[in-house]
Amino acid sequence: MSTTHHLRTPLSEPDVRSLAVGDFVYLKGEITLCAGLPTHERLISHLDSGAALPIDLNGAVLLHFGGYNSESDGTFDVRYMNPTTSTRFNPYMPRLIRSLGLRVVGGKGGLDAASAQAMKEQGCVYLSFPGGACTLYTNAIREVVTVAWQDFIFHYRLVKLRVEDLGPGTVAIDAHGNSVYDSLQSQAESRMPQILADLAASRNERAR
Amino acid sequence: MAVTYDLVKAVTAQLYDASLRKIPEDTKQALARAGLTERSDTARKTIRVMLESAAAAERQHHFVCSDAGVPVYFVQVGTRVQFEGDFKRAIVDGFADLVRTIQPPLLQHVTNPLTLERGYHGKDMPIVTFDLLDGADYVDITCSPKALGSGRWAALEIFSFPTLDVIEKYILDVVLRAGSQHCPPVVVGVGIGGTFDYAAKIAKEAVLRPFGQRHPEPIVAGMEERLLRAVNATGFGPMGTGGDTTAMAVHINYASGHGFTPVAVCFNCWINRRARARIFNSGEVVYSE
Repeated sequence: MSTTHHLRTPLSEPDVRSLAVGDFVYLKGEITLCAGLPTHERLISHLDSGAALPIDLNGAVLLHFGGYNSESDGTFDVRYMNPTTSTRFNPYMPRLIRSLGLRVVGGKGGLDAASAQAMKEQGCVYLSFPGGACTLYTNAIREVVTVAWQDFIFHYRLVKLRVEDLGPGTVAIDAHGNSVYDSLQSQAESRMPQILADLAASRNERAR
Repeated sequence: MAVTYDLVKAVTAQLYDASLRKIPEDTKQALARAGLTERSDTARKTIRVMLESAAAAERQHHFVCSDAGVPVYFVQVGTRVQFEGDFKRAIVDGFADLVRTIQPPLLQHVTNPLTLERGYHGKDMPIVTFDLLDGADYVDITCSPKALGSGRWAALEIFSFPTLDVIEKYILDVVLRAGSQHCPPVVVGVGIGGTFDYAAKIAKEAVLRPFGQRHPEPIVAGMEERLLRAVNATGFGPMGTGGDTTAMAVHINYASGHGFTPVAVCFNCWINRRARARIFNSGEVVYSE
């Protein structure tokens, strides 16, 4: 049985190291949404140049979520948000995890082995949020703290939110180097000879 | 009486809007059945979240997924249909109207592939595929918005006189490559034969087929059954975090061709967006899902 955790940000290293692959997590507190290649490229260029980021991301929860945001008279609003495919950001994530000391990253589809290694060193987990749960996640928003980099299109902006009971996210890569994505891919590949043999048997059965 | 510009504009926009807020009934039922048979706790909980999400989106008239994709339509035109006004223009204008009025607003997903600039409009958008229906006095329109999440994992390869085992292995190779990425449990659509373009078209038509309609030819129905078992034996499971349900259905179409045989494989993610309506010469509109 997986365990369900209700975690409050900011998260400590022991908080994160105690999570295991398959656990369910609900988040309360501040999170930052980050989707889109230009967003990741700009984060990296800020780290390279030492320029200050518009949102303090040290030890943060950084999620690959895209959403619709707006600003009216200095008040920010987020109409909806939802996870996007994280593997697109594989080239950027090890650096971001290490340099910013991220405690939680997430989205859907997972990250590669280099990111899992960075997460193991740093004490960080990857949460898989079901794609297509837009309404549930949006209902968890309590406050839009800020929307930065408004020169980008809506879903490429950096958005800081205060949420309550955001989830569930499934711990899919833990802080000990275990990745459900790597293990499932290996498992599927190792099952393939049997799967192909079963297909052949079924074809022959029908042919008789 | 005729199928008018105004009607086509309104109906195509409405189909897009509806497809974003409600997952098809057969898909809800398939997910619910999978939730009962899944052996893994993680998979059962993930499916429960999916069903809760679908119900919440309907209840709140909200989007199921934030990525509305790009508008894609399949249109079958009855040969007895009378048109009044421009049909293609109506679809373009319907989408433009929707972008202006839909609440909550859409994100800018229409992408120029050469510059990667994104907005609400672009060349050849919406994407529309036309076909004819002999004798019919209606236009049959299916809207199937498509986004990167599952769209990027579709593939096509051309073989030379392949046997069934070669074709089936290729389909599984594509499934393996998609792995955990395409928001499973998915619908797998396969097109075999014809030509490069035609195989992709019939694969897409296969993905849009309602559940429970097996292919009428036993040889194809048999492939659909055993490939569904094979895909689910991979173990990727709901959202690719492990389980027995990686696909809800495998649907296959085929066409005769030459000795070069294209095999096209595409996916619809678990929300299985598809919305369909018929517009009759009489002006009557029948929404079927």
